[in-house]
Amino acid sequence: MILLGQILEVLISGLLSGVLYSLVALGFVLIYKASGVFNFAQGAMVLLAGLALVRSLDFVAAQGFPMWTAIILGLTFAAAVMTLSAYVIERFVLGPLVNQDGLTLFMSTIGVTFVLEGLAQMVFGAEIYPLKLFPTDAWFLAESIFPGGILLNKLDVWGGLIAGVLVAGLAVFFQRTKTGRALRAVADDHSAAQSVGIPISWIWFVVWLVAGLVALVAATVWGTKLGVQFSITFLALKALPVLIIGGFTSVPGAIIGGLIIGAGEKLAEVYLGPFMGGGIEYWFGYVLALVVLMFRPQGLFGERIIERV
Amino acid sequence: MRAPAASDIAAGEAILSVKNVSLAFGGVKAINDVSFDIKKGEIRAIIGPNGAGKTSMLNVINGFYHPQHGQITFKGRTRQAMRPYEAARGGIARTFQNVALFKGMSALDNIMAGRTLKMRRGFLWQMLRIGPALTEEIAHRRRVEEIIDFLEIQAIRKIQVARLPYGLQKRVELGRALAMEPDLLLLDEPMAGMNLEEKEDMSRFIIDVNDHYGTTIALIEHDMGVVMDLSDRVVVLDHGVKIADGTPDEVKSNQAVIDAYLGVAH
Amino acid sequence: MPRGIVGAAQREDAVAIDATAAADTFPKLLVHNARVRADRPALRHKDLGIWQTWTWADLLDEVRAYAVGLHRLGLKRGDTIAIVGANRPRIYGSVMAAQMLGAVPVPVYADAVADELAYVLAHAEVRFAAVEDQEQVDKIVSVAERLPKLETMVYDELKGLRDYDHAKLRAIDDVIADGRTALANDPKVAEWLDNEIAAGKGSDISIILYTSGTTGQSKGVVLSAKGCIDAARDTVAFDKLTDQDEALAYLPIAWVGDHYLNYAQQLVAGFCTACPEHGETAMQDLREIGPTFYFAPPRTFETMLTRVMIRMEDASFIKRKLFHYFIGVARRYGEAILNGQPVPVQGRLLYRLGQFLVYAPLKNVLGLSRVRVAYTAGEAIGPDLFSFYRSLGMNLKQLYGQTEAFLYVTCQPDGQIYSDTVGPAAPNVDIRIADSGEVLFKSPGMFVGYFKDDAKTKEAMTSDGYVKTGDAGFFDQKTGHLKIIDRAKDVGKLNDGTLFPPKYIENKLKFFPNIREAVAYGDKRDFVAVMLNIDLTAVGSWAERNNVVYGSYQELAGHPLVYDMVARHVEETNRALAADKMTAGAQIRRFLILHKELDADDGELTRTQKVRRGFIAERYDPLIKALYDGSAEADISTEVTFEDGRKGNLSARVKIRDVTTVPTLEKAA
Repeated sequence: MILLGQILEVLISGLLSGVLYSLVALGFVLIYKASGVFNFAQGAMVLLAGLALVRSLDFVAAQGFPMWTAIILGLTFAAAVMTLSAYVIERFVLGPLVNQDGLTLFMSTIGVTFVLEGLAQMVFGAEIYPLKLFPTDAWFLAESIFPGGILLNKLDVWGGLIAGVLVAGLAVFFQRTKTGRALRAVADDHSAAQSVGIPISWIWFVVWLVAGLVALVAATVWGTKLGVQFSITFLALKALPVLIIGGFTSVPGAIIGGLIIGAGEKLAEVYLGPFMGGGIEYWFGYVLALVVLMFRPQGLFGERIIERV
Repeated sequence: MRAPAASDIAAGEAILSVKNVSLAFGGVKAINDVSFDIKKGEIRAIIGPNGAGKTSMLNVINGFYHPQHGQITFKGRTRQAMRPYEAARGGIARTFQNVALFKGMSALDNIMAGRTLKMRRGFLWQMLRIGPALTEEIAHRRRVEEIIDFLEIQAIRKIQVARLPYGLQKRVELGRALAMEPDLLLLDEPMAGMNLEEKEDMSRFIIDVNDHYGTTIALIEHDMGVVMDLSDRVVVLDHGVKIADGTPDEVKSNQAVIDAYLGVAH
Repeated sequence: MPRGIVGAAQREDAVAIDATAAADTFPKLLVHNARVRADRPALRHKDLGIWQTWTWADLLDEVRAYAVGLHRLGLKRGDTIAIVGANRPRIYGSVMAAQMLGAVPVPVYADAVADELAYVLAHAEVRFAAVEDQEQVDKIVSVAERLPKLETMVYDELKGLRDYDHAKLRAIDDVIADGRTALANDPKVAEWLDNEIAAGKGSDISIILYTSGTTGQSKGVVLSAKGCIDAARDTVAFDKLTDQDEALAYLPIAWVGDHYLNYAQQLVAGFCTACPEHGETAMQDLREIGPTFYFAPPRTFETMLTRVMIRMEDASFIKRKLFHYFIGVARRYGEAILNGQPVPVQGRLLYRLGQFLVYAPLKNVLGLSRVRVAYTAGEAIGPDLFSFYRSLGMNLKQLYGQTEAFLYVTCQPDGQIYSDTVGPAAPNVDIRIADSGEVLFKSPGMFVGYFKDDAKTKEAMTSDGYVKTGDAGFFDQKTGHLKIIDRAKDVGKLNDGTLFPPKYIENKLKFFPNIREAVAYGDKRDFVAVMLNIDLTAVGSWAERNNVVYGSYQELAGHPLVYDMVARHVEETNRALAADKMTAGAQIRRFLILHKELDADDGELTRTQKVRRGFIAERYDPLIKALYDGSAEADISTEVTFEDGRKGNLSARVKIRDVTTVPTLEKAA
């Protein structure tokens, strides 16, 4: 029973931390789906959103406003920052590059990464800022069944809930609205989208805005977990195997991919770690991703690549 | 600021006229001082050998290219260039030589995308699918279904277009352009890469569109035969210069045209 | 005048008709249905992506208006009216409206080329034609000079016809609107129409169905109203069809099967017939409608199975394993369970699980979940194919019939199903086997005669009034069911006197999914040789998996690896033939794969997709010569017809293969 309880605990905490990876991966999927661009800057956007949020929140709170006012103002400010950055990125980086190929656009996002990282730290500071939006204590479940119960981190549960709402909302947005349809259209063919009167610059702005807001959501959860700091940008690297497993074009894929990676690496760490010297967590996701690449290059949920001549 | 409606122009009057348009890429002149007009309700062909500047002309009309000289008057409004978005809003729809569909979407969604400009409701309403947004969605879907029926593509409605054979893709593309309810429909080599049977189907659809919806159509072809049967009037371009303009019969007997097609003149 | 009053008059009259005699014409049945099940669905059609439904009351209302409109255009009792189009409410409505006036509908295959159309319309002396769309109008206009009697055409679909000269052309919509106005303006019109309906007699000609004819020009099979209705009543009772049933009408309306299954049975049982949205959407519509009564030729069942198999090849590993495992379970236990035979408990449980995991979803995808009774006929069905569907729990049965019988001659009762029989005589049908082996029958639905052709009618009947089917068959000792071997005149003899049943051999070959069509030769020759068509879907998918590159049918058909594969199939067929004493001598020695698919447009197949052996022999004479003179290959050039009627030439060099035969036991001994 102890063993089973332990496995369950590791599994659940793995799954929930996987959801947090998914949150970051989602931002990638959105931009990739809508513009065919692999957005290297997603990690930097999380950092920017996190810094904007935590610094403004602290500032407002320091003025003696109640906490909830501070949170609302902080979120609003951070959202405004993300809106502005989406506008600037579209207007000055991607807009002029319409109809260029994917690699060029990818390179440009690398540039965006450095600029965002630099600017964000320059404006908001480069230290570690603790963020307390969600409770971080734990629940102990099923204590009657398993000795000691199963430890469940409340933050992880919050993360899971938020991710669920986000995915549902995004799915409906993509499938049902004309903007969603236009996003998919632009991703498929720029000229054709223009010919039916879809304003590309507006659509790209919307895409970057949505990705920015997703980054903000990710920042609230991750910031609470780790504190807002520069290393949060490395999350982008964690999201990569998630994307490979889930497929670059699938919103549910990003979630499932995150769950697989999260659960897989926690289980591996706890049960294989002792034999292999630990640290498995850092590379296990990539191994999983490689295995998936071998069998399904388009990812588990990605669209089949169909080329017709 | 309302775009003038096509109904303000009587049938037989020019809906679009191109005056002294020149377009160059670097030093290469793609179009050189070309003028012609398209009358409301007609099928107008722009033909010429490869490299004659036909597609460039279409791209100028539709706003993809901005000419260095000349004017375009569409529905009574004159300008030197417009953006593709404005062209679409003004009532110009087009298809592409090599089929430019939204490959990841179904045939239905592709045609629905053609309705983008006609949809008014905000995305929040659409997400919830209630109230006026629902009514609007149903009305648009009905228009799209009529087009599907018209083009006889009911069987492929829900199929991702990338999976469709080329001839059907062309038909879906035509459907998407029709969904915009354009005043002027530009077709860039609608029969390119088709076999004889598909060509005849497509010709029939083009005539039907013109007949049924009264749409003004400008089409590009390099295959003379098809064009002569379809069109009311023909412009012939060669190396960016207009060499003939008239009814199919006039054009056919024009010496410059014969030379251009036989490659004598150059 | 308000509609309600007309309705009331109608109803009283309907009661009167019902009271005087059981309905003996289709219009009377329509009136009857509109009275007893007014609000039940009668017809459905998918239009603009949405299923539209007509209740029996709606249908009667519309058909009455249509009939009045047609009458005002000049259609009257005894006239013939051609009906050309796909399965659409207005096309069925045209049949009903014509019959309501006592006129005789003559349905024609919608894909008939102008020449065939001209023959039928001229022969039937039609004054009117009700057609679907511009395509059909164009076809008829193109042969107008051969149809001096044709006065007026009505059409369903306006598209492309706007600018046509409407002197002799009317939209069905306008005809109906005109009839409606007439009915509303003058109560006498409704009264007159009621009298017209009442004036119809069971002995009247109800319809003339032109057979597609495997040889020569088609013949007009004249059927009486009473015959049609009596026959349909028998089978409706036999299969317990009620107004809760639903059918999908996707077969050509000119074919007896459609008129029987989806029209006669519909009106007798009062069930709902659904019309597909478009010719190519039938499979999707099937899934959406989920009919309870389903008929399909073996070819359709085969196409469906091929599609499933191809999809499974692409499915994930787990899905594929699961599918094959439970299909195996179904093969072991499914048929036994369906036939009510004893099955071990573990088998039952596994089957249940399979039902949940595989069979139910599969049937759902195919649109067969609700099927209560399904029939197949027209060609022999492969035993594997037949038992595949039965093992899934679908009550698939066989029937044997022909136009002259108004379909049914035999049909299999529930629980007595065999893949190689066609069942015992249908209710009230009398069957006799002639000394020549030819099957003869007398039935309630049997035809009155061929239209304007007494000589042929006489030829088709025995002196004591039995109809000659032209098929050779015998009653199976064990089951008491009829077995059909071949067309009586097609059963030939090899030079050494061995019996040569070509179709029997062809069918055995066609049971291989890779072989689409086979034509066997051997009559008055030294040995049996066959020409084959491969199935492009099945072989194409095989080619993809085996990295065989091809650009066209022709290229794939000539590929050496394809030849190897087909040779194995032919050898297997030889083993099967060798197993039976009667057919052991008719094993195949040589075969070739044709460079083009046999096509009805080229006259190689009938409109019902049967091979025309004689015609093919003439057309491919150089190939036949080569089959018998030992050459390894031969050149052939043939004229092909495109869909629009243009002609072109196709030439190729076709390879010929020898195959090994199995020594028969007697000869070896």
